[in-house]
Amino acid sequence: MNTSRDHSFAARTRRHQLPNGLVLLVLENHANPTVSLSGTFRAGEYFNPPGKDGLGSLTASMLNKGTSRRSKLEIAEEMETIGARIGFSSNTFTVSVSGQSLSRDLPMLIGTMAEELRAPAFPADELDKLKQRVIAGIREDLDETRVRAYERMTQVIFPKGHPYHRPSGEHLISEIESIGVDDVRNFYETWYGPGSLILVIAGDVDEREVSDLVEKALGDWKGPEPPVIDLPYTDLQTKPYRESIQMRDKANCDVVIGHASRLRRLNEDYIPAVIANRALGQSTISSRLGLILRDEMGLTYGINSSFSESGIADGPFTIGVTIAPENIDLAIETTLKLVDEFIRDGIREDELADEKSSIAGSFQVGLATNGGMASQISSLELYGLGSDYLDRFPDLVKAVTKDEVDHAIRKYLHPEVATTIVAGTFD
Amino acid sequence: MAEVWAVYVMISPDLDKRKGVPFLYSKILEYEGITEYKLDSNDLKILLCEQRAAPVVAFMVVYRVGSRNEAVGHTGATHLLEHMLFKGTPTYNKRRGTQIAAVLQKHGAVFNADTWLDRTRYFEMLPSDQLELAVHLEADRMRNSFIADEDRQLEMTVVRNEMERGENDPGRILDERIWAAAFREHPYHHPTIGWRTDVEGMPTARLKEFYDTYYHPNNATAIVVGDFDSNEALELIARHFGPIPPSPHQIPPMYTVEPPQQGEIRFVLRRAGQLGLVEMAWHIPEATHSDSGALAVLDHILSAGVTSRLYQGLVETQLSVDVGAQAYQFTDPGLFTIDLTLAPGIDHAAAEKAVIEVIERLKTEPVSEKELQKARNLITTQMIFLRDSPFGVVNVLGESEAVSDWKLYADLPRMVTAVTAEDVLRVVNTYFDDDNRTVGYFIPKEEQS
Repeated sequence: MNTSRDHSFAARTRRHQLPNGLVLLVLENHANPTVSLSGTFRAGEYFNPPGKDGLGSLTASMLNKGTSRRSKLEIAEEMETIGARIGFSSNTFTVSVSGQSLSRDLPMLIGTMAEELRAPAFPADELDKLKQRVIAGIREDLDETRVRAYERMTQVIFPKGHPYHRPSGEHLISEIESIGVDDVRNFYETWYGPGSLILVIAGDVDEREVSDLVEKALGDWKGPEPPVIDLPYTDLQTKPYRESIQMRDKANCDVVIGHASRLRRLNEDYIPAVIANRALGQSTISSRLGLILRDEMGLTYGINSSFSESGIADGPFTIGVTIAPENIDLAIETTLKLVDEFIRDGIREDELADEKSSIAGSFQVGLATNGGMASQISSLELYGLGSDYLDRFPDLVKAVTKDEVDHAIRKYLHPEVATTIVAGTFD
Repeated sequence: MAEVWAVYVMISPDLDKRKGVPFLYSKILEYEGITEYKLDSNDLKILLCEQRAAPVVAFMVVYRVGSRNEAVGHTGATHLLEHMLFKGTPTYNKRRGTQIAAVLQKHGAVFNADTWLDRTRYFEMLPSDQLELAVHLEADRMRNSFIADEDRQLEMTVVRNEMERGENDPGRILDERIWAAAFREHPYHHPTIGWRTDVEGMPTARLKEFYDTYYHPNNATAIVVGDFDSNEALELIARHFGPIPPSPHQIPPMYTVEPPQQGEIRFVLRRAGQLGLVEMAWHIPEATHSDSGALAVLDHILSAGVTSRLYQGLVETQLSVDVGAQAYQFTDPGLFTIDLTLAPGIDHAAAEKAVIEVIERLKTEPVSEKELQKARNLITTQMIFLRDSPFGVVNVLGESEAVSDWKLYADLPRMVTAVTAEDVLRVVNTYFDDDNRTVGYFIPKEEQS
């Protein structure tokens, strides 16, 4: 019996909105006795008060450190005993919730998630331990060539105070050290609530049973008005820039080339832009940049381009390449030349056809799991694309023309003003 | 008694020329939703697991050759060869516009290949109507790959860059040194990526020899999981793999045995870095050993989740910021490793002492029934979650085939359920002996002023 092939996603996804704003989307898939939960709400790093970088992330990570009813260990004991998992993490704009359990344990999964969201205790000793671990993680990142190069690029491209301008590791550590339990509690009380919460549950469940459970667990949760995110587009840089970061004992260097993209998820030419990037550099082993730098020249194990973080706001367009120190200049020069050619000549018809067929196939492959379906459905709701979008998507892709892709290439790619950062050990 | 099925070959222009030759396959065993077959013409082992949740299928070919089959001078050969198998065949190549990666990418496949101690595997996950593409491609590159010198030279520098990326990571180097110290004679001594100068100097002829020695249907298993019809899949596999003859020679056995360690090994690694690391390792038996279930349970008791012994003993006490434990079980005896990332300002010896205290307690006090049950539940639910995706199942079946046989996977829940507190007590006392231990410290080098 194949259920997923016979029905549209629109027909299989049930959407409910509770009076407090919470949107619940349920997709039944009875193939395996498991359930996957995926949620987001707007309370990410963007909402950090001045001088408190890292607060949004610490607050999200404190949710599973104990509640007013139970200690962290009691909750972990219960969840680990049934092999279930709930996790919270913070992104630039949103907090993500993810969880999975056997379907018979869904009441416990939803109950624990609601308890942790609604009644966190924020114990001071747990905050100290968490800060220590987070700071250790940042210190480890200080040692990573790729992280250092990317971080520096965002500082050049995005103005200070922009959520994509990443603070330096040392700066972030000093702000995190200053954060106390009161800061966490204030952040929680100001921003956390059901108003912008989107919850997707996919798997071997009964749709009515799920909505009853969620309503009982979260229906009477009150919180602030859903926050509005209003960020101006970031201006493109006006001239190229290059900088090297000297590190110790690194056999390999990382190069990041980037500029402001001005591409957001809801831009009308988002799909043509995605196709352009796929043809240029999304895959090391089959896109243009990889075919030349890896396959023909043997310069690198990995080279990729992406419109990273193009979502609610416009992120950077970046190309990252890992390279031996003696090949840095050759790699940068070749990459920029290939991007120039791509802009000049546009996408080839065969590349366009291949990318369209590739997107159609990977769309099908990506939706093969409960987790894959839940995260797609959640992102459609976040961007208000409509529940039939997954059904329409293959046709939207099919309809894209070479002119549309070429237009997107010229609009969004600007190597002439790119910032290039090299991190590694060199003479 | 095995059933025998006949398949009559349909001819496609690029494929078999021996018109009308039937390739037969035999059904060997059906067990836990998985069916094993064998191609009569060449002994290719076939595993099928229909799972019709979504219109997607995963295909994998596992070769029983890994860095275990290498020796000094050609360490890294298996891995370099794996890279070379993307360079094309007379049917799939760049000149014809049918480059392997491009063809797979065009159909939206998630695909890759990887190499480890005991095996090399090639896999594709793709829309179910494209299964034949994956089967044809893998059958084709089993014997028809170009292993060309100019490709080898370029790919060597790609692999060298992959190696250098790994060398940037102190945890990875420490782990490499642990295996090299704990294994003196057995080839688990050297890393799968190989020693740098072996990778740089390896002649193309040596790679070709490696390919001709190990890449044969009788040294491989083909696995299909997901949305497909078993008869159709068998017909496809028989049609494309059937014409490949078995190896003209016996696949050479690897016979080196690691002797007992007889005394603790210790070393220090000093390089630039931010946080101190400790890794400890003990020799444990091969995957098919009867203690494997108890070792899997022990691994979970030590490190799975917040309630685990090491998390409670080291992370909660702020000695370390991260801790892991892993029972690495392979074709031949492997290692049980414990690795720690130290909290800033913590002494390596103090953290090591805390690990030893956790281990010593397990040697004298039996674990509680509750703790045991939690570990069993975690392992069995993880097995169920795997089935959410065809790739999850193809992956574990492939790993089981690499170390012994797929039934190891199918039997794991039963093995784990049978583990008692006495079993855990016994394995800790048997293997976690001081003389069987290797300890490595990574100490970050001070900034030079």
